[in-house]
Amino acid sequence: METVSFLVVRLGVNYVALAAAGVQGVLTQAEAGHEQTVTAAGVTYQPVDLAQRLSVVADLSGLEMRTVLYSNGHSYGAIRVEQVVGLTDVERKDCFPLPPQFQRDERNWFAGMMLIQDHLVLILNPSWVLGESADVVPVSVVQVKQIVAATPAAVGGSC
Amino acid sequence: MLRAARGQQHAQATKRSWNVVVFSVGGMKLAARTEDVGGVSPWTKSIPVPSRTPFVQAMLKRDNQVMPVYDLATRLSRKLQGDPLLCLEVRHLDGPMAICIDADVPCLETVDAAAVRPIIREDVETLGMVTIGDEDVAIVAVQHLGQSMQGAVSS
Repeated sequence: METVSFLVVRLGVNYVALAAAGVQGVLTQAEAGHEQTVTAAGVTYQPVDLAQRLSVVADLSGLEMRTVLYSNGHSYGAIRVEQVVGLTDVERKDCFPLPPQFQRDERNWFAGMMLIQDHLVLILNPSWVLGESADVVPVSVVQVKQIVAATPAAVGGSC
Repeated sequence: MLRAARGQQHAQATKRSWNVVVFSVGGMKLAARTEDVGGVSPWTKSIPVPSRTPFVQAMLKRDNQVMPVYDLATRLSRKLQGDPLLCLEVRHLDGPMAICIDADVPCLETVDAAAVRPIIREDVETLGMVTIGDEDVAIVAVQHLGQSMQGAVSS
């Protein structure tokens, strides 16, 4: 049984997941301060406005707002989220690719999806979150099908 | 959740006839071939998904499965009517897909294939137009919904 750990966070009505391996810390508003850029343990984390990039409405003024310090080893981002839901271990077979009917930028935003306690959780692509991969808009059905075909499995295993 | 209509009760299905499900979206009567329809059920709240694909911006959860929602009402600039609304599950070429339709219970009809007239509509992909009763009804190519939007600007 192969599992992957995720940090699940909420932005508005959407639940999204970050691979837990990249999470360097979770800060409260008081800990993160009021600057957009966060420096922790000598590392500078650049601000990532995930809500704006996903075009979702999120209230980042609430008490449950947190700043997730995230890195893939070469880029560092401070991601403000409305709520940190928690860490979860998911079997790879329980991760699914985004259905092929989703054809645009979102294919680059999300590596897949999973169901956790009745919630649909979208698995974020770390490279995109950290600004390493620009939005790529497939221009044809064929291209979308090629992207879907490149996903590890159509019946699970997208994480 | 389908009711048989006049024509269907008496029709002997032949190779030259099409069986269609007639439904409505914002009061506009539409049809889909029965083989392209997986079922009709009460609509349940959909889950918004951040997306730039026109009219595909939510998913519907059914038991332990999810399927994308195609917002046909918005594409047709219609406001859904009635309560409770219904879910038309269609067999899209890319997999099952849900469409929210009016509360009017869809009915089954058999139409003569020769009576299906070719039409070109810019607002939705169709297989043609047919007259049912005294109404012209577009037969929606639900298997291909969204495929003509490939080059469109995100809504």
